[in-house]
Amino acid sequence: MEFFIQQLVNAISLGGIYALLALGLAVVFSIVGLINFAHGELMTVAGYGLFFAIGVSLGLPIAIVVAIFAAVAMALLIERVAFRPMRRADVTGLLLTSFAVSVILRVLFQNGISARGMPVPMPSALAGSIDLGFAHIGVIPLLSIVATAVSLGGLLLFLKHTVVGTAMRAAAQDFAVVRLMGIPANRVVAVAFAVSGVLAGVAAFLWVAQRGSVDPLMGFVPVLKAFVAAIIGGLGGLAGAVAGGFVLGFLEVACQAFLPAAILPYRDAFVLGIVILILVLRPEGLIPAQTGKRS
Amino acid sequence: MKLRLALLSLTALGALTFAAQAEDLKIGLASAQTGTLAFGDQPSLAGLQLAVDEINAAGGFGGKYKAVLDVKDTRSDTAATVQAAQELVASGINILITPCDADPSIAAGQISQPAKVVTFTFCGTTPTITSAVGDFMFGTYPADNAQATVLADYAHEKGYKTAYILKSPDSAYTLKLPEYFQQVFTKKGGTIAGEGTYSMGQQDFAAEVTKIKSLSPQPDVVMTSAYEPDFPAFIKQLRAAGVTSPVLGSDGIDTPTVAGLGDVVDGVIHSSAGLPSPGTPLETFAKKFTEKTGKPFDTVYIANGYEIGLIIDAAVKAAGSLDPQALRDAVANLKDVEGVTGKITYAGTDRMPSRDIALVEMKGGSRSLVKTVTPNPADVPAP
Repeated sequence: MEFFIQQLVNAISLGGIYALLALGLAVVFSIVGLINFAHGELMTVAGYGLFFAIGVSLGLPIAIVVAIFAAVAMALLIERVAFRPMRRADVTGLLLTSFAVSVILRVLFQNGISARGMPVPMPSALAGSIDLGFAHIGVIPLLSIVATAVSLGGLLLFLKHTVVGTAMRAAAQDFAVVRLMGIPANRVVAVAFAVSGVLAGVAAFLWVAQRGSVDPLMGFVPVLKAFVAAIIGGLGGLAGAVAGGFVLGFLEVACQAFLPAAILPYRDAFVLGIVILILVLRPEGLIPAQTGKRS
Repeated sequence: MKLRLALLSLTALGALTFAAQAEDLKIGLASAQTGTLAFGDQPSLAGLQLAVDEINAAGGFGGKYKAVLDVKDTRSDTAATVQAAQELVASGINILITPCDADPSIAAGQISQPAKVVTFTFCGTTPTITSAVGDFMFGTYPADNAQATVLADYAHEKGYKTAYILKSPDSAYTLKLPEYFQQVFTKKGGTIAGEGTYSMGQQDFAAEVTKIKSLSPQPDVVMTSAYEPDFPAFIKQLRAAGVTSPVLGSDGIDTPTVAGLGDVVDGVIHSSAGLPSPGTPLETFAKKFTEKTGKPFDTVYIANGYEIGLIIDAAVKAAGSLDPQALRDAVANLKDVEGVTGKITYAGTDRMPSRDIALVEMKGGSRSLVKTVTPNPADVPAP
């Protein structure tokens, strides 16, 4: 029983991180129709933000703020420099642009900082676990669950109760009408990128807290997972992204925990096989995005 | 007439430039200076560069050949490594150096072997690298099976009876090293309490760690050859879950990043090519390296790269020429080359050298030497 509860906590924690990542992709996709593969590099930027802030002994809370600001700043920068000029491009053009941005950033990290990983020392308080009687919960998994809940709650409030948030939700359904209402398009898009930067920053902190180092390529695996999660959820829908993240997290933990040792090496194949099955049954994803677009 | 003269002078010129070039020892590096293998390739190159500068200043390799390095970055990509190897071999290099991993090294070896170019892997440790390529391929770093033997011997000496091994099928290093450990450990009377699998880069070890935590009784020791970023994530989550079993690792975690993890890695013991502990030749070398390059000696891969320079020097001296076959035979017959980590011997091996292996313990962000061992060849499992 304890084993089961423990794995449940693991699944919620991992699913939460995937949900944050997928949400970061979905926020941008819902508005500009761009799958931003440079999202992983936003995490890397946040990781380096943590590294430098902790390096000059700013303390963890400030370092986290620095990391999030770094990711937001980079998100706004790439939107302004790379994606705004490409606004009218088709999906393929945008996709290639995001790949290019991703590669350029990675090369900049490698040549400007270091191709080798940098240690990010975390306070030892984060390494412990809390005994709940029926299960031990690690501080980091607990932190990811809390951070995910706070971020999701915050995003929900932002989308429901601010003008920009309302405009973003409207833009996800029909951008043209939003512009007719007199809302500046650039601002809505920039805010969407900023929100994805915040989500990447939070996810990066949780990711780095687990791995203890930052390197130029660290964004690759998370963005891939986020992409899979966003697709399972139904690309473009925010609720779908969250659902997709949790489904992927649960699948991964369940396979790791319960597959027999002999077929455990094929874990990823199993997980992705189930993902394909989900998409066969529900080609639009779990919670298809609502748009005003007519086919 | 004029044309013939021109042609003649052209050929003469060609012969002249060729003669001038032939005086140089051309070392081509298809090396991963960026990407996932940079952690090993970058410091290895720094060490090799120092050796080349020193030996050139002292009269050249074998006393007469000045070495020139031609470095091509492979971005840790196997296809790019093959392309770089092709360009280098076509440019007429005498020696090829390949990245710190089996796959790109074997792939590049397919180019250099038929061209009869002596090839070294920077710090690839898979013992089958040499047999998969052929007689022109050499390893330099302590091989996986030798490292695993030293680790299993240590576990046996410590009285550990049960071991949990964690491996990944994603690379030969992460898969085979724990399996060699298992072979030696069980042969000496230990049992395997369980084994886990991970995907490289998966980051999340919570499910795996929960499985280890639920083992009753807890394993006496946990062994893995995971390296960055997997090892740091694994050890952090393992300790966070409250598993206190000692952990054994391999040379892949001999990096400043892992030492920088703080007290979660306290007590972790891993194999390595050497440790610059006080009074050792390696410490003298470490000081010299910092003095000459201004960079800290933060990993033993630097010493390994430097030793490749010494090995090449010794081989060129023994061969007396840069003839490919003579050079190959000279490397294969080297005995007791005085390196900075100990003596290195190729004679009588399968071109993976026989050399000392250090067992190192991490504590408080630094490392201390447990002991230095040369594994008994009879104990080392066949590759």
